[in-house]
Amino acid sequence: MTTRRHALKASAALASLSALGMPLRALAQGNELVVGAAPPITGVFAFAGVGLNAGVGDYCEWRNETQGGVAGRRLRYISEDSAYKMDQAMAVFKKLMAAHKPPVFYGDSTAWAKAAAVEVSKLGSTMTAAPSYASELADPKKVPYYFMAGPTYAAMVQMLLTYINSQGKGGKKPTVALVYSDTEFGRDPIAAAKESAQKLGLEVVQEIVTKPGSADVSAEVARLRRARPDYVIFHGYVLAPIPEFMRQLREAGLTNTRFMGTIWSMDKASADAMGPVADGWMGVMPYRYAHDTEGAPMMKAMNDFARKRRPEMPYTSTFYTHGWLVGMTFAEIMERCLKANKPLTGDNMKAALESLTNWDTGGITGHAVDYRGHQIAAGRIYRYDLGKKLYEPASDWIKTV
Amino acid sequence: MRIGDFRSSYAHDEALLVTPVQRAWMLAFVLALAAFPWVGGTYLTYLACLTGIHVIAAMGLNLVTGYAGQISLGHAAFMGVGCYTAAWLANHGVPFFIALPLAGTMSALAGLVVGIPSLRIKGLYLAVATLAAQFILSFVFREWEPVTGGVRGVNIEAAQLFGLSLGSDRAMYYVVVVTAGLMLLAARNLFRTRVGRAFIAIRDKDISAEVLGIDLFRTKLLAFALGSFYAGVAGALMGYFFRVITPEHFSLGLSIFYLAAIIVGGMGTLLGTILGAAFMALVPEVLRGAVSLLSGVAPNAMALLSPVREIVFGALIVGFLIFEPHGLIEIWRRVRRFFHLWPFKT
Repeated sequence: MTTRRHALKASAALASLSALGMPLRALAQGNELVVGAAPPITGVFAFAGVGLNAGVGDYCEWRNETQGGVAGRRLRYISEDSAYKMDQAMAVFKKLMAAHKPPVFYGDSTAWAKAAAVEVSKLGSTMTAAPSYASELADPKKVPYYFMAGPTYAAMVQMLLTYINSQGKGGKKPTVALVYSDTEFGRDPIAAAKESAQKLGLEVVQEIVTKPGSADVSAEVARLRRARPDYVIFHGYVLAPIPEFMRQLREAGLTNTRFMGTIWSMDKASADAMGPVADGWMGVMPYRYAHDTEGAPMMKAMNDFARKRRPEMPYTSTFYTHGWLVGMTFAEIMERCLKANKPLTGDNMKAALESLTNWDTGGITGHAVDYRGHQIAAGRIYRYDLGKKLYEPASDWIKTV
Repeated sequence: MRIGDFRSSYAHDEALLVTPVQRAWMLAFVLALAAFPWVGGTYLTYLACLTGIHVIAAMGLNLVTGYAGQISLGHAAFMGVGCYTAAWLANHGVPFFIALPLAGTMSALAGLVVGIPSLRIKGLYLAVATLAAQFILSFVFREWEPVTGGVRGVNIEAAQLFGLSLGSDRAMYYVVVVTAGLMLLAARNLFRTRVGRAFIAIRDKDISAEVLGIDLFRTKLLAFALGSFYAGVAGALMGYFFRVITPEHFSLGLSIFYLAAIIVGGMGTLLGTILGAAFMALVPEVLRGAVSLLSGVAPNAMALLSPVREIVFGALIVGFLIFEPHGLIEIWRRVRRFFHLWPFKT
């Protein structure tokens, strides 16, 4: 009898808790700020997608833990894998928009950003970002509700050229070769790069287009060997065929030629995978690397949280850092709107984004961020040290216009 | 239990839906399709549009490969021809209802050219020839910047029909469903004509077909042209649907996707095409939904289970091919047979 009475009491208590709990949960969900995402956790971009997803999600958690969310409202990160396919990314976008109406959304690619821009403009209620630095997306007029947490590819190459220009000795300007993949990604900065080179008086002695990830590059290497450039800039690749180019060119006697890349080929894992040819490999990176925490409290906080939350993660990748910075930007623009008692509409969030003209990222970026052009047009040249297996700064932070 | 069809007139014999039960089911299906975007919400409407476009494209490939027996690995490229044609026409002010058939016609012309080698070669050799077409057309999409926008692609104005904007998913849903319905009806009737039967005769034994008086060259080219027409219309709809198109959309991977769709669904059947296209389009979504549900239970489940999802999808395709080589259509037929003969055992 006692047992039965206890059971009845327990049931009543559970029922009351459920009845109370459900509205509380509903209230909590109603008060939450949803950050939607369609990161590429599988597919050809998965090497970065896992880190990107973890970065945005972890920032939301960290923010909730340390600051109670944004303007008293907790952040809730909801993501589904896009497999780096535009139609699937759009499906995730539609699904999450229909179910949660997130004010901010993180996509997976240039193709998604372009396709979603049509929908987002129509909705006028969402600010978007993606791991795309395509030059045409940094356009507040044509793509008003999109920003990139870094410089455009054109700006990245411009930074590399600025650095190269500063390395001239005895009045002699270094020569440059451009090697890029035959993709939208690869071709993106090339016209701007040639224009920048011309303005700086740098001679582009060779221009080579390859398939992305192509294996046999001996014909292209022969052309580069004849041109003997001082610097070779690779763009539109993650890894292959860069190591093969470097190996063959080194074997061909081009020992003084420097090899450079842009953001997606600049993670530590890529350099580690290149093997011995990576010694001296250089490139542009808009963020600090994880080991560089001096004077960068947010980098330290990010590393600490990543270690605590993901003990299995061997190191904090630049993809994770990118995701973290995207999360920070989302939170900042929502906070600015909410503190000004403005609803989270696309236009208000765009205005909030553009009001970030001297924004301190806690050292994730070298300079205070200026988002007026919907991009962070700054970065630094790094050089890979094979002995330490780390990237070390090769220049000061460079800003582009 | 159904015991037979009694056909008492030629009209009855020619009817597509023979029994009152079939007509009632079809009516219910059409009503459900009409009501779907109003009850399904944006996400499901989006998926329905995508599936409808895949059904049209897969139908085109089934005409060429499933019915006429001519393997094609360039189907995505024909979609691209249709898409870029529609984009170019739309951006030059040509109305949607004219641009759509013109896109199909342009793809059909491309199909005619690509189909020429089919007279001399078949099987794997023809597959390689169509593969070459895929690469050549992909190159054209990337390089012919004034028309295709190059690697950056091209934006397409929202479709308009009699002054009504078809920019929303709901509006596009009706366009896609009506177009798919008309094209499936056309395909269904095609195989009751001399031309359609000639396709099947060529597939079964081309030498015998020629002996029977079928012009092989003309018929094979017609199969390629018709299949490409379907692909072109599907490509145009895809362009109007996404409003942004880049060459990466029409990759070899997409051609393989359609080939897998008709094999999984059942080659040489219309219903199999629908089932196969729906399977290929929707199963990844269902699996992602399952992963999403599990993510709520275990932290990091998304990152851990997403790759498993791809493996499960691949295993499902292989499983179907092993356990039901005739495709999903055969499962459908078995289910129907069960109900027809119920309560007796099939």
